[in-house]
Amino acid sequence: MVSVINTVDTSHEDMIHDAQMDYYGTRLATCSSDRSGPVWQVAWAHPMYGNILASCSYDRKVIIWKEENGTWEKTHEHTGHDSSVNSVCWAPHDYGLILACGSSDGAISLLTYTGEGQWEVKKINNAHTIGCNAVSWAPAVVPGSLIDQPSGQKPNYIKKFASGGCDNLIKLWKEEEDGQWKEEQKLEAHSDWVRDVAWAPSIGLPTSTIASCSQDGRVFIWTCDDTSGNTWSPKLLHKFSDVVWHVSWSITANILAVSGGDNKVTLWKESVDGQWVCISDVNKGQGSVSASVTEGQQNEQ
Amino acid sequence: MEELDGEPTVTLIPGVNSKKQMCFDWGPGEMLVCETSFNKKEKSETEPGCPFIYIIRKDIDVYSQILRKLFNESHGIFVGLQRIEEELTGKSRKAQLVRVSKNYRSVIRACMEEMHQVAIAAKDPASGLQFSSQVSILSAMELIWNLCEILFIEVAPAGPLLLHLLDWVRLHVCEVDSLLADVLGSENPSKHESFWKLPGNTQTLTELELKWQHWHEECERHLQDSTFAASPHLESLCKIMLGDEAALLEQKELLNNWYHFLVTRLLYSHPTVKPIDLHLYAQSSLDLFLGGESSPEPLDNILLAAFEFDIHQVIKECSIALSNWWFVAHLTDLLDHCKLLQSHNLYFGSNMREFLLLEYASGLFAHHSLWQLGVDYFDYCPELGRVSLELHIERIPLSTEQKALKVLRICEQRQMTEQVRSICKILAMKAVRNNRLGSALSWSIRAKDAAFATLVSDRFLKDYCERGSFSDLDLIDNLGPAMMLSDRLTFLGKYREFHRFYGEKRLTDAASLLLSLMTSQIAPRSFWVILLIDALPLLEEKEVVFSAEQTYELMRCLEDFASRRPVWREPGVQRLQEDVENTKLEMLRLALARNLGRAIIKEGSLEGS
Repeated sequence: MVSVINTVDTSHEDMIHDAQMDYYGTRLATCSSDRSGPVWQVAWAHPMYGNILASCSYDRKVIIWKEENGTWEKTHEHTGHDSSVNSVCWAPHDYGLILACGSSDGAISLLTYTGEGQWEVKKINNAHTIGCNAVSWAPAVVPGSLIDQPSGQKPNYIKKFASGGCDNLIKLWKEEEDGQWKEEQKLEAHSDWVRDVAWAPSIGLPTSTIASCSQDGRVFIWTCDDTSGNTWSPKLLHKFSDVVWHVSWSITANILAVSGGDNKVTLWKESVDGQWVCISDVNKGQGSVSASVTEGQQNEQ
Repeated sequence: MEELDGEPTVTLIPGVNSKKQMCFDWGPGEMLVCETSFNKKEKSETEPGCPFIYIIRKDIDVYSQILRKLFNESHGIFVGLQRIEEELTGKSRKAQLVRVSKNYRSVIRACMEEMHQVAIAAKDPASGLQFSSQVSILSAMELIWNLCEILFIEVAPAGPLLLHLLDWVRLHVCEVDSLLADVLGSENPSKHESFWKLPGNTQTLTELELKWQHWHEECERHLQDSTFAASPHLESLCKIMLGDEAALLEQKELLNNWYHFLVTRLLYSHPTVKPIDLHLYAQSSLDLFLGGESSPEPLDNILLAAFEFDIHQVIKECSIALSNWWFVAHLTDLLDHCKLLQSHNLYFGSNMREFLLLEYASGLFAHHSLWQLGVDYFDYCPELGRVSLELHIERIPLSTEQKALKVLRICEQRQMTEQVRSICKILAMKAVRNNRLGSALSWSIRAKDAAFATLVSDRFLKDYCERGSFSDLDLIDNLGPAMMLSDRLTFLGKYREFHRFYGEKRLTDAASLLLSLMTSQIAPRSFWVILLIDALPLLEEKEVVFSAEQTYELMRCLEDFASRRPVWREPGVQRLQEDVENTKLEMLRLALARNLGRAIIKEGSLEGS
């Protein structure tokens, strides 16, 4: 059972494109078409780096914002793309402060903070033909032994992320030892543009799970048994009657939220026998709800 | 898609245009939804967008003030039960489990009572109604739990079973069983009294049955002989005593519900009913009572499932009917301790008990203080409890130092080192932003974060350069082995130690330490000039503090520094500083030369004699 408990008036004058809660659920960031052009997505970094937000927009820019002494300032601007940047996603905090950006120019860029206001850029050109619509990082998993590393020594993480594009594909990328990113896998099942990918948080089981959604109205759940190699098998969650735009996992990965063109957000859970069932429908409609401002702060861009 | 037992619940978001879509985000506890249009076009729609963001919560009951007591007290019972599990053996096991069950029920009743009081005292009728309906739900919960206790935990055998059921009905039916009162007050009390002397338990079941048979036959004879023909009321009573269903149903207004009817019927027709036969009478009682006029409600189905000893069905139906996981989580856990659940392998949690406990505990984490209860529930989920706790505990807002320490203690107790490190880093960062360097340093040390410790130490040293004094002396003086975390931190600690030596007039120790700080290369370049200048007061002491060899070392350091000094790029203030520095360095050269002379003489003299 789900109920609306609070409403926040963002005072946006135009369409809101994205809204995100921070790590603790105490603050909101929203972005819209209010100012110079649409800002498509906004993403909070892990709080150990301070209060940091990334935003990406139609005007090909990725901007990183930092809160200092109560005010938000632009701390870095990345203009390495030739068209709209559609998606930004921060890597697991264990890897440092790294941002992946997917753009309509088909490229994916990775910005790594190297200290003292400097960001290093790595670009994967032609990651997806026509354009890249979504990027999502795999959770940090320490490979090999679980012996506690001595302090100061970073464990050897294998960094991976997934991307979805206009070539109807989902691609998995892995960082090689020389620091270059290589395409590790192609996941094919969609018959139209992939709109979103979401790599599920790890709950300690030796399987990896990715959710993907597409213009073709389908949502797939991809699973890979980590112990027996690298094959990913898709399972169709549902075929919707309209485009599916976004998929996202709850923090313990047991519920998947799906936002569709059919003006609904549906919540899905895996049942005993591995089938996915819809447990809740969040729908638009008329109805009365008490409107009161939430206690959390709110940031606008 | 699998078939569900019930349709998914729909939550309507008001004010959102049906032609647009909704964007969604998961928060750690709540979710947010807002209107958007995903079709990315450069120009926005001509229709203005909805500027509202809606916060949606899944576990609203967690926020109820009165239910909080229920959650708190049941948490105590739950933890107690897990702890005594090993001690539960033999005959006393059942008795102890029944006691636990009764404890849970008394907690529900207490909560019910409190809510009832609030309902009566409510100022506006709407909230009064809301509280009253909560009371009904709690009452239903207690009704179900009580029945489960009798059937599954107490495992009442034939004989006592009916007595328990009678108590159960009496407890939950507001009106006294006036029908029974009628019967008791009727023509043949003696016969009834002997029947009611059961509690003595000196009779066996068979003896009881025989007695009852005898009495039953006598009643029948009376009826057939038309003993009561003169009084239709008495005749009706006799029929009731024989368990005649039609007669009983005629008194329907006195029977509140079908289970009241069931128990009364059993009382008169099958008082020694066996547990396994219960379900036969249950279904027919329900059907007869409803008489085809209305359909069973969720509560009816749950009770029916219980009479049928279908525990899984009971849990399933309760999960659907109730708005939070409290009831099913605790009941299932208790039944699991009674070894009544077959293990179903579920994807989340290896069995139903764990699955429900995980759901319940996750809900608690949405609350700013009840999350602490959730920790214990996760602890007792062997498969996914730990990882669930790790994922949830990092998201608790560390709004106060006290809360942060509480969270850290929980993580440290469970050796969740990654979480400890992450939380300490977050707190260190926050402290640096608020200029609380001492706090930042302790957090970095606790996080064993060398890089951050270096950063904070640098800030300390910078402050010293600017102000000439250290803040947080207590902390720096008592670093102990933590000093080794980073070179910069070690330098900070040792430099402060130098100051202490000087303050305590332990001049030779101060001198040696100062020298080692310069030669060990752990001093940051920016600090060399300060170290050198620090040597001055020592050189100007009456006694010779630096030996000749040490003086040579110092001279070497001085020249080394002088030759590698950074060139000041900006004029003005820097130039002035440079001049001051140059003067000081000249003074130092002079002092060193003088000291060398005195040292050689001093050492030479000793040698001679």
